[in-house]
Amino acid sequence: MVFAKELVVVGNITFPKQSLTLKEIKSIFLSKKRFISGDKVLVMNFEANTPLRRCFEKSILKKSQSSLERYWRKAYYQGKHPPKVVKSLEMLFSFLKKVNPSIGYIEAGDIEDKNISILYREECN
Amino acid sequence: MYKKLLIFISTLLVANDTKEYGWDFYDGAVNIGGYLDMTYDEKREEKFLFNDIALLFSSSHKRFDILGEVELSHISLDGKSNNSSDVDLNLERLQLNYVLSDKQTLQVGRFKSDIGYWNQAPILILQNTTTKPHIVGNFFPEATTGLLYRYNLNDENSLSFTFQDNTDISHQESAINVSRHKGFAYYGTDDDLSWHFSVGEYREESSIEADYIGIGLKYDIDDFDIQAEYFVQDSEISEEKPFSAYVQPTWHFREKDDAVMRIESYRDSALGVKEEIYLFGYVHRPNRNMVLKGEYIYHTELPLNRFVYSFSVLF
Repeated sequence: MVFAKELVVVGNITFPKQSLTLKEIKSIFLSKKRFISGDKVLVMNFEANTPLRRCFEKSILKKSQSSLERYWRKAYYQGKHPPKVVKSLEMLFSFLKKVNPSIGYIEAGDIEDKNISILYREECN
Repeated sequence: MYKKLLIFISTLLVANDTKEYGWDFYDGAVNIGGYLDMTYDEKREEKFLFNDIALLFSSSHKRFDILGEVELSHISLDGKSNNSSDVDLNLERLQLNYVLSDKQTLQVGRFKSDIGYWNQAPILILQNTTTKPHIVGNFFPEATTGLLYRYNLNDENSLSFTFQDNTDISHQESAINVSRHKGFAYYGTDDDLSWHFSVGEYREESSIEADYIGIGLKYDIDDFDIQAEYFVQDSEISEEKPFSAYVQPTWHFREKDDAVMRIESYRDSALGVKEEIYLFGYVHRPNRNMVLKGEYIYHTELPLNRFVYSFSVLF
């Protein structure tokens, strides 16, 4: 299934940076970067096999699902944990509202007038 | 006891297509999980073994991480060593990490030595073969009880320094039990390519001292990976292990299936052996937590040609 939409990486409204590079986003979502301006960042992901997460893995992390599974099995043994899985957009916005700093991703069409920071934009391939 | 184990495994088989690993407590502050491995080796006296049943626990706070691994090993399913005295309970890891920043981490306790690729992923579920290359367990201490300082030069390059000057806190018997270990490791990556350089010295509990030095190279893309390592060791009593090297390509030819090959060469002066080892294996991962492996190992010198099979679960 083709998911031809724009993906937006978002942070809470007081996120300490105005924008992030692709490299920084990869490091944050792969648990290689833990702090933003000295604070531990809450990283959120959607459930496996959702079209938006597939788009994120392919366009931002640039890794296949099986490659990411290999990565996280090893990382888990080393004490690293994958991003917190949120089951809905509402849950993601709720964490973005409460936790500083926090980061996730949404479809561009879901931005509306939410109080969030836009950190990066990418077309889904 | 075996009935309880089988019930436990059956539960895992039914329940373990979970999306993440382990179980979170206290809103994710504590995670408890584990793994188990069963192997069948036709050349081993106890052919069918529960190699390990281990409990993993971790707790992460802003700058502190605690990580532990307790392992129950050597449970024979042949009935040849079914006394409780044959079963070992080992403290595999108990480490406290203090994350000073994204660049610097200080680690204290008992941990896997930061040397080589196999020590980064030392359990069967993380490996593409059931058997390990000759390098593992013969050239450097697999575990260190001491201090490790890691410095990330950037996202792609890191250095680590390992120090031990005390006895091991675990009673676990391994090929190299040390009372002192000083090690340095450098790991680098550039997109799909990564490499390492490791050097160190150690003193065994028997007071024998040795130095080691090694390099490794890995290329990893979605459908294929290949890794190679080369280590040399110089012991004060003799040049026992002049070198050991291997190349291991793995083809991820279907989403759940891999084919693997390993070509090794080593020399062991103490055993008077210089040989090559060839391995051909097949890996099937029915889901992300489980792996079944079968491999044939051919030795050019030692009478160890055999089939080995394993089943592993990470839960």
